[in-house]
Amino acid sequence: MRTTALFLIALLAAFAPAEAKKAPVPVKALPPMAAQGAVQAKEVSLVRVNVTGQPFDYFRPWQKKAPFSKRALGAVLAHDRVLVTADLVANQNYVELERAESGEKTAANVVVVDYEANLALLEPSDKKFLNGLQPLDLALDTVVGDRLAAWQLEATGTLVVTEGIVTTIGVTRYPADVSDFLTYRLSIPMQYRDNSYTVPLVKNNKLAALLLRFDPRSQTLDAIPAPIIAHFLKDASGPKYQGFPSLGVSFFPTRDPELRSYAGETGKPGGVYVTSIEPGQPADKAGLQRGDIVTAVGDHVVDENGNYVDALYGKLEVSNLLTGKAYVGDTVALHIQRTGKPLTLNVKLEHRAEEDYVVPPYNIDDPPPYYVLGGLIFQELSRQYLKEWGANWQKDAPQDFVYLDKFQSELFPEGKRRVVILSQVLPANSTIGYDDFSYLVVKKVNGKVINSLGDLAEAVKTPVNGFHVIETADDPKQLELGASEVAAEADALQKNYGLPALQRLP
Amino acid sequence: MHRFRFLICALALFIVADAHGQPNGQIQSSLVRITSTEVEPDYRAPWNSGSIGRGVGAGFVIDGQRILTNAHVVSNSRYLTVEREGDPNKYPATVLFVAHDCDLALLQVAAPNFWKGMKPLSFGGIPALESTVSAYGYPIGGERMSVTTGIVSRIDFNLYTHSAIDSHLAIQISAQINPGNSGGPVMQTGKVVGVAFQGYSGDIAQGVAYMIPTPVIRRFLKDIEDGHYDRYVDLGITYSKLQNPAQRHYLGLKDDDRGVLVGTVIDAGPCGKLLQTGDVLLSIDGYPIASDAFVEYEGERVQMPEVVERKFKGDTVKLDLLRNQQPMSVVVTLGSVWPYFMQGHSYDIRPRYVLYGGLLFQPMSLDLLEAYRISDLRVRHFFDFFVTEQIYLQHPEVIILTNILPDPTNTYLMPFRSSIVDEINGQKIGTLQDLARAFEQPADRFVVKMIGDGPPLVLDPKQVEGARERIKTRYNVFQEQNLDEQPPAKPAVAAQTHS
Repeated sequence: MRTTALFLIALLAAFAPAEAKKAPVPVKALPPMAAQGAVQAKEVSLVRVNVTGQPFDYFRPWQKKAPFSKRALGAVLAHDRVLVTADLVANQNYVELERAESGEKTAANVVVVDYEANLALLEPSDKKFLNGLQPLDLALDTVVGDRLAAWQLEATGTLVVTEGIVTTIGVTRYPADVSDFLTYRLSIPMQYRDNSYTVPLVKNNKLAALLLRFDPRSQTLDAIPAPIIAHFLKDASGPKYQGFPSLGVSFFPTRDPELRSYAGETGKPGGVYVTSIEPGQPADKAGLQRGDIVTAVGDHVVDENGNYVDALYGKLEVSNLLTGKAYVGDTVALHIQRTGKPLTLNVKLEHRAEEDYVVPPYNIDDPPPYYVLGGLIFQELSRQYLKEWGANWQKDAPQDFVYLDKFQSELFPEGKRRVVILSQVLPANSTIGYDDFSYLVVKKVNGKVINSLGDLAEAVKTPVNGFHVIETADDPKQLELGASEVAAEADALQKNYGLPALQRLP
Repeated sequence: MHRFRFLICALALFIVADAHGQPNGQIQSSLVRITSTEVEPDYRAPWNSGSIGRGVGAGFVIDGQRILTNAHVVSNSRYLTVEREGDPNKYPATVLFVAHDCDLALLQVAAPNFWKGMKPLSFGGIPALESTVSAYGYPIGGERMSVTTGIVSRIDFNLYTHSAIDSHLAIQISAQINPGNSGGPVMQTGKVVGVAFQGYSGDIAQGVAYMIPTPVIRRFLKDIEDGHYDRYVDLGITYSKLQNPAQRHYLGLKDDDRGVLVGTVIDAGPCGKLLQTGDVLLSIDGYPIASDAFVEYEGERVQMPEVVERKFKGDTVKLDLLRNQQPMSVVVTLGSVWPYFMQGHSYDIRPRYVLYGGLLFQPMSLDLLEAYRISDLRVRHFFDFFVTEQIYLQHPEVIILTNILPDPTNTYLMPFRSSIVDEINGQKIGTLQDLARAFEQPADRFVVKMIGDGPPLVLDPKQVEGARERIKTRYNVFQEQNLDEQPPAKPAVAAQTHS
């Protein structure tokens, strides 16, 4: 069946991009695992979630790509809420919940989505839709060695349970590539099957985790753990969703005795060396400096590898204290050594918002801004734009853009700006001879420094002696357009290339 | 096993040898077979002498008892022999001149017997499109001389892959050319019209072979007349076409299809102080420059750099230009642009390095990046934008910590691999020499700051000294540094900031 095959490919891509090209093995025909026992879905609080997604087309920013469908599972929680991964609802146009046993459907809204933690909360438009389903509680006490059950559904609505064992609990980078969060790693002989985009992992009929990524070759599964889900839910129950806090700082281990001695440390080993501080972020505001050694966070001593001793898990990366365990608005005491002298800094934690990045990392649901002048297309550089080059975007996208993204805080320490690029040229009368120009960073337009598309829209209001003068960082360094020619050609250009509008500003 | 010389090794099994009649005369008495024993430098263990290999190519006798061949036939050679058709002897040869930027070399043979009966070949001009040419050499498939024929398919500027950074005129021919043909003459009516040198391997394109045309050969032979090869000269600028009417109007240009727009002016190049970004070049040595950067030169429409290509170090070129709409002229004294060299392959030099405390520091170059397969984004950025962002002004050499020979004293330093050295104890490191000197200064500790936000690398000189013999013995390092080759001269202009 064609639809099934397509869906399986989409699944593979989501779980393990490296495997995307291999032909998936159809698993639909396999019977439920008898050994685990089959349970009826209505007893276990799962609903199907059908999502129609339609991503923006960053290469043609005035339009969206063709819509596509994703089918998945959601975990039913208290207060008529359904928990899914943020990946599932990214770029959603329409979300629908479906009762597994009856096939009854209702539309749903996305209440909260957090792309950093990869979690989203849905609510059915029909309040009674989830009646009869027992909400799942959270199991917050999972430790290494525990057995968790992955819940998947057969097409018939029959529950399929696969057990795995938690082998590691640690802090890893989540797919948005912004922050590190607590992660369970399981060894699990799980199979792909229909409706397994979001796979809940359950312990004693309580929700212990949600699938984050799965490598079918090694049968290794990473999961978003209940403590992170609990943090998300607590935040989401407040009047305004805040997001996970961050300190805005990078650490380096102090195992090297030479580095310790250089930093003025003479006592017993421990603490991490502060390497870089994001300007304007909490650590910067609290006065933390490059070269400080952080020896404790609150009551937790930090060792030379950057770990503290967690009451439940044992040694764990210190960032868990600042992201997973703390909330926006909390004040955390950082105990540091500065050139050998102890000091305590109180840091008020904040969430790092999209606006605080020069190259936004996950501007998924915002329409990409653009400005068409003559046939020149101007856009703001973003990670979503770079990801248009595919899974290997870090190698395939224009390398100076990848460099700007990766080293943005180093290159733009002042922050508070965007990078405006001349992304491509639509051939037109006003752009004759410019056809080959693309991927240029714009510095000035009509003599004014450009730090956003808004700046550009403002600057083009005042042409210089009847010309728009665009200055770029790389060759050709300058391009000019006749202002009256651009204005005269605008309508024809819009019609010719089918542009619904010549601009969309942020 | 002999390796046959040919750039981008082609795999061809059928070689059509058409030797009837010999329209070009007795080539056997001019052609030689060259066997080179070469030592390939080992960038990953630069104190080693490198791997030894052997290759076979062709060459031919020209006036003055000289043999012309490709530079890549004799690159990195330690021992060279030449053989003649019908003579059982191998004669030792030496390299007189080598020009890696145009892939040509001249050899000499001391043995008087070798020259007995050898006839020098003379050069023709640029052969006409579609005219027939014959290529002679010692390609794969047999031991004796081979002849193949084909026609002239295309005459155009092309990349010379031996250096990987130089483009000159090259002529594409349809004659089968295979490994071992390199350095052999391509003839037409008894005259040499080119030297076979590169082509595509069979899985990329079929029957696309190139020869070095006589203008490039003549330029090489003229350059060395003073006993020294000076390389090609270059303006050291980038430029864009000026085909947009509004842009032309804005720049105050007439509607006459002339002029190109200057983009980057490389400070270290010959135009460094003479041209500016935004200048419009109108003519070069009096030849009008069209808005697509072509000039009418000796009856042919050629790209603008071709005018400079024919010139030599110290020659001048006159540029007429428009600056802020005002006409002016500058006379440029030509030379080569050293910051480009790092981006190309180098030959016949030993890798330069400093090993200190088991840390191996090496200057960035194409060969180095290829040897280590460095994919670090920052290193690649420094490489790609070394010239255009004028990174060389602050870092005439970009010093990379390429490798660490593990020892108890450096065991925590592994995360620093592939970092670029910025400062040592507060002193900027612009060259390998700077780095070697910095480590010679008396100090309690060396604080090595790398480019970027990372932590400093801290070394205790006493510990390093204590580990020195141990590391040398354990890793079989017989020489801890090679600063041999002079680092490029510091640019005369004041350093500018770059980011």
